[in-house]
Amino acid sequence: MKNKIIAIGFIVILFVCFALNIIKKDEEISTSERRKLAKFPSITLENVVKGKTSEEFDKYTVDQFILRDSFRSIKSFWSNYVFRKKDNNGLFLKDNRIYKIEYPLNKEYVKKSAEKIKNVYEKYLNENMNIYYSIIPDKNYYLESDYLKIDVKDIQKLMEETLNQGTLQKAGLPQMEYIDITNALTLEDYYKTDLHWKQENIKKVVNTLENKMNLKDTSSLNYEIQELGNFYGTYYGQLGRNVPPDKINILNNSVIENATCYNYETNKTENIYDMKKWQTSSDKYDVYLSGAVPLITIENKSNQNGKELLLFRDSFGSSIAPLLLENYQKITLIDLRYVSSTILSNYIDFENQDVLFLYSTLVLNQNVLR
Amino acid sequence: MVFSSITFLFYFLPIVLGVYYIVPKKCKNIVLLIASFAFYFFGEPTYVLLMAFSIIITYIFGLLIDKYQKTEKAKIFLALACIISIGLLVYFKYANFIIENINLWLKHKVDFINVVLPIGISFYTFQMLSYLVDVYKGNTKVQKNILKLAMYVSLFPQLIAGPIVRYTTIQDQIENRTHTMEKFALGVRRFIIGLSKKVLIANVLGELVTTFLASNEMSILYYWLYAISAMLQIYFDFSGYSDMAIGLGKMFGFEFLENFNYPYIAKSITDFWRRWHISLSSWFRDYVYIPLGGNRTTKIKWLRNIMIVWLLTGLWHGAAWNFIIWGLYFGILLIIEKLFLGKYLEKLPKTFSHLYVLILVMISFIIFNGESTSMILQNIGGLVGFGKVPLILPESVYYLKSYFIVIVIGMIGATPILKNIATSKKVEKIANVLEPIFLVCLLVICTSYIVDGSFNPFLYFRF
Repeated sequence: MKNKIIAIGFIVILFVCFALNIIKKDEEISTSERRKLAKFPSITLENVVKGKTSEEFDKYTVDQFILRDSFRSIKSFWSNYVFRKKDNNGLFLKDNRIYKIEYPLNKEYVKKSAEKIKNVYEKYLNENMNIYYSIIPDKNYYLESDYLKIDVKDIQKLMEETLNQGTLQKAGLPQMEYIDITNALTLEDYYKTDLHWKQENIKKVVNTLENKMNLKDTSSLNYEIQELGNFYGTYYGQLGRNVPPDKINILNNSVIENATCYNYETNKTENIYDMKKWQTSSDKYDVYLSGAVPLITIENKSNQNGKELLLFRDSFGSSIAPLLLENYQKITLIDLRYVSSTILSNYIDFENQDVLFLYSTLVLNQNVLR
Repeated sequence: MVFSSITFLFYFLPIVLGVYYIVPKKCKNIVLLIASFAFYFFGEPTYVLLMAFSIIITYIFGLLIDKYQKTEKAKIFLALACIISIGLLVYFKYANFIIENINLWLKHKVDFINVVLPIGISFYTFQMLSYLVDVYKGNTKVQKNILKLAMYVSLFPQLIAGPIVRYTTIQDQIENRTHTMEKFALGVRRFIIGLSKKVLIANVLGELVTTFLASNEMSILYYWLYAISAMLQIYFDFSGYSDMAIGLGKMFGFEFLENFNYPYIAKSITDFWRRWHISLSSWFRDYVYIPLGGNRTTKIKWLRNIMIVWLLTGLWHGAAWNFIIWGLYFGILLIIEKLFLGKYLEKLPKTFSHLYVLILVMISFIIFNGESTSMILQNIGGLVGFGKVPLILPESVYYLKSYFIVIVIGMIGATPILKNIATSKKVEKIANVLEPIFLVCLLVICTSYIVDGSFNPFLYFRF
């Protein structure tokens, strides 16, 4: 009897899965993982002979497998609760917060990132500018010591070695001043399901920057906080576990409402908060300055002081830039992951602006700057 | 195609099983032959022709050897067939290694040849050689039906990573084999256990091994974690594959011989090699060691025979110096045991003899995994703190905590403890009831790992 159950059960499972996989309509994207899923491979003689079709078919069968997200949840559960593995695919859940291990520190990549920043510094910047850099810690930095995490001080030390070595300085250029924002943040200031910081929690960071950059202190300024809705961050889909969503908020005042945002890529002028992206994008964090954009200029129509900021940034910059508007008439945001530093002079006149390089450890620890 | 893939589990296998059990008995071998070629074609589209060529050569020479049985001609045909088969293996597997080493001595360097190692070539070449030698010796009848011979060589359950199934083992089964519900269920059980060993233990520990190899923060603890994990990974990877092969064989009515018998409970290295990759060590024993004279010769020749066998065993595993060193390492250990250590090992308390085997085997797998001599020395030296390595660092503590359960499960799973419990009379009834549920759960969990994971190489594919 037992043998019958095992034999027939196995056959039934194989055939049911096979049939359901054939019947099931292929999906274009995985909303939880935020990526395109593999499609049925193109069958050409060349692809078949080279083995490309087989490779693509393997990817296709995995990506389009029935109840894929449920199976991923089972794996995550088993890995965490049975095997007691501290992470699953580099992600782990602690107190309903999802973290991703960015460890270990890749010294070579950090140096390469610093080199890219130094190239910009030497090529475009001049003695009339105030130049600063700051490092945004990833949220693991605020975890207890028995978790693997990258120390911001180690990154800063490596950056400093490259950026402010006397022999590498162009004559007359000021030192790049480092602004330490690690004390202006806590674990609570990051989303639970995402890597980013919350816009409504980073006023302390803004104040730290303002103080160090000799700007007007805006700590007493009040913003209207508007809750947009639930937000399932990047880590949520990657971990594949059921975790309560975050809420996404936007900070508003008349300065932000009146400001416009010019996108050099699309040649379009948008608002600071892109409500279309909020409605349509799989990554709701794109509501801030339309997400991943190589080059944007924000015009503050309420301020005619002529001050300009060049903000070299990653995705964290999208949510903090609107809060720096009080001090500037114009802020240009440059994302060196998507635009090469060699062509910047085609779009920007480098004169006497303030310059801030604001990058997260996540970006600096990878070789992604161009 | 790997067994632990969605393509195999939920596309290939149901189709092949379905067709195999629908067609009449006389067509079953043809179905398996077509399925096996399709299986190989999926992973090696171009080299399927090489395999077909090797089969034709084996078929023709098998007939010739049989025709001229017990004459000089038979010997010549056997030699020719061996030269062609081994020649192909050398060309595809060892040519660039030979060129690399010759170039060390040459002023004008020889260009490397542009070949990729065909998957499973070492396995199917050895199967064909055993067939030809057995025909020559009269141990088996020649197979006059090329399709049946092709089915034996290409049989997909054991085609790409063994075990090395000898023709004599399955010659009768090719003609006539039984299909019963019990055998099929045994096959399913064995297959799922093998799949779990591969996916849940070997792949998971493989991640730790990969992380260690990419890390810069070494500590004594981390070196030990690596050595133990690598040792368990390779065992669960390879024995898992053998279990799956044996299980699949049963589903299609075949009975393959066992390839592993809890090697990590061995009490000597000699005992270890009676339990590890049995099909390979017995192949070398029967087709190399004994023909060379075995131990029924002078002491010098006997020692020479041992070293030749272990040099070849090392080389069989790969075209690199670490594999040669690995083989010779075992050759030397076996000689030491045979000459004097063996008798002392028998008298030692079990714990010490087990520990002796485990440490030496662990070191052997550090050699096996080493990409360079310096890396091998560093990873062995690190175990005892050479190079002023700290005892522990946060990274090693983190990974110890993270992989502790899997390592413990691996350690227990490498012994017969669980098998003994499951088959003991006290729990037999409960085990009977729970077994189908347990197997379904394992299959679901393995599927979830395959669907989610990308780390899924079979270590023995490269051989």
